[in-house]
Amino acid sequence: MKAMIIDDEPPARRELRRLLAGFPWVEIAGEAGNVDQAVEMVETLTPELLFLDIQMPGGSGFDLLTRLEDVPQVIFTTAYDEHAVRAFKVDALDYLLKPIEPARLAEALGRVRSSQAARSPHRDAVLEQIFVRDGDRCWFVPLREVRLLSSEGNYIRLSWGKEKPLLGRALAALEQRLDPNRFFRANRRQIINLEFIENVELGVNGRLHAQLRDGPEVEISRRQARLFKTKMSI
Amino acid sequence: MNDAERPISPPKSQLAYWIFQLTGWGLYSLSRFFGGVTVMNLPWVHFGLQLLFVDSLAFGLSHLLRNYVRRHQWHALRIRNLAWRILVASFVCGIPLGILTQFTDVALLQDPNEFLEGMSSALRFQLALPVAIALEIVNWSVVYLIWLTIYFTAIAVREYRSAQLKQSELARALHLAELRLLKSQLNPHFLFNALNTVRSLIADNPARAQDAVTRLAKTLRYTLTSPQDELVTLSQELDIVADYLELESMRFEDRLRIEIHVPDDAAGVRIPVMLLQTLVENAIKHGIAQLPSGGLLRVSATVQNEILVLDVENPRPPAPVRTAQEGVGLQNAHDRLRLLFGARASLELDLSHPSVTTARLRIPVNP
Repeated sequence: MKAMIIDDEPPARRELRRLLAGFPWVEIAGEAGNVDQAVEMVETLTPELLFLDIQMPGGSGFDLLTRLEDVPQVIFTTAYDEHAVRAFKVDALDYLLKPIEPARLAEALGRVRSSQAARSPHRDAVLEQIFVRDGDRCWFVPLREVRLLSSEGNYIRLSWGKEKPLLGRALAALEQRLDPNRFFRANRRQIINLEFIENVELGVNGRLHAQLRDGPEVEISRRQARLFKTKMSI
Repeated sequence: MNDAERPISPPKSQLAYWIFQLTGWGLYSLSRFFGGVTVMNLPWVHFGLQLLFVDSLAFGLSHLLRNYVRRHQWHALRIRNLAWRILVASFVCGIPLGILTQFTDVALLQDPNEFLEGMSSALRFQLALPVAIALEIVNWSVVYLIWLTIYFTAIAVREYRSAQLKQSELARALHLAELRLLKSQLNPHFLFNALNTVRSLIADNPARAQDAVTRLAKTLRYTLTSPQDELVTLSQELDIVADYLELESMRFEDRLRIEIHVPDDAAGVRIPVMLLQTLVENAIKHGIAQLPSGGLLRVSATVQNEILVLDVENPRPPAPVRTAQEGVGLQNAHDRLRLLFGARASLELDLSHPSVTTARLRIPVNP
């Protein structure tokens, strides 16, 4: 598994490298000491796992994640900011406290490995999870659990569980990276997750309305209706 | 709350009570004695003894009254509840004394005829005694009303003073606690990063690791034990700052460069313990650590006109990352200076240079 170490302190990077020598299946593809450098390297090296420090020059580890289009798996490494990591709403990630205990590292890597196995094999084309920061709250959002993406200007409102965080990207750009078997463009402003459709009704105006589980009713535009019918085989 | 828990009359105020009591009653009796003897030409021995008898009883009754109001905690009552109790108590004390007085020569001091003018002599004869008694009762009630008013005013003044005293004691305790709190801030972020650096050095460079552990121990000892001293010399503080900086430069490697210029006349000046340390930590946290390529941290001291001027410079990141905790360290340092030196010391952030932040500390050489 291709991994990257992102930490601004050289001794900390060396120490982690030494600890990871005990896990030959983890290949360290590169190291970065600040956010700008890291963004560039993540995009070219496309690692599957990041060891990420939180406090770094030129932005925090969270800043780095919001700048990445596709977020790999992340293990936070921090000396004292575990409260910042714990503030996450989901524990879809792990954190290690520096100095790192070898046993805790093995545990975290074990979890990474098993969740890696659960991921779809063709991950290059399709986004699996995105990192969203809305105000001072952060989420790792697994896209398969998002029922609705609505365009709000240059932002996207994600309807996901009970949360509705705002993502700083344009809907058209994100659409390219969504799994076409799962997500469907219902109208100019909305993309729905087909797995969340509870039922479809024909409205009085002759348009289709998809009722989402736990979510709103979404109107399918006339242009998309035909495609929708084929897709849902109705 | 009972008296055992709350001693409302310490010995000093006990003495004050008796002095006030004897002086007050003594003056009152004397004035009436001279009034009777000189204005009304009463036989002084006879009148004097009767007056002494009546006023002693009045005096005794006032003491009983005082014990009564203490036992019933009247001092703790609200002013409205206290007011009507005072009125009733004055009247209750006034009645027996009024009646008693009427049967002594002391009654001669009061002339009921003033109130009976213009009445028929038969009526005057009938009313003379009741009016006289009523007048004596009113008289004594007023005396007790005045007595109680003075008594409770004195109590109120005393309670106000002791509340003020407690307030100032509290303020002093708070001040000390505040100083202790502001000073002894062990930075956990630094501690754990240092430990991580040591762990890495153990493999990379064992000799350096040993050095790091010694320096870390010194830094911790200074931080943890310093609350005993308020002021240390600049050179003592610099020793520890040097250890701290050495540890940080092991962590940041070539990102941290250090310059320290402290002339001999400045080295002996006494400064608040851990203050320079706080400024240096801030310079690293908000300056060096925020810059990918780091920079120069400069500590320089001069003495000008009996004032120590201590500058801590760090490169300023182009867009400082704002955090909620930012400025807490500086605010604490500022508060400590104010508590220790008042207005004669100052701490300012000089942002006049576009890419350098200077924390400038001014402390009087002879505080």
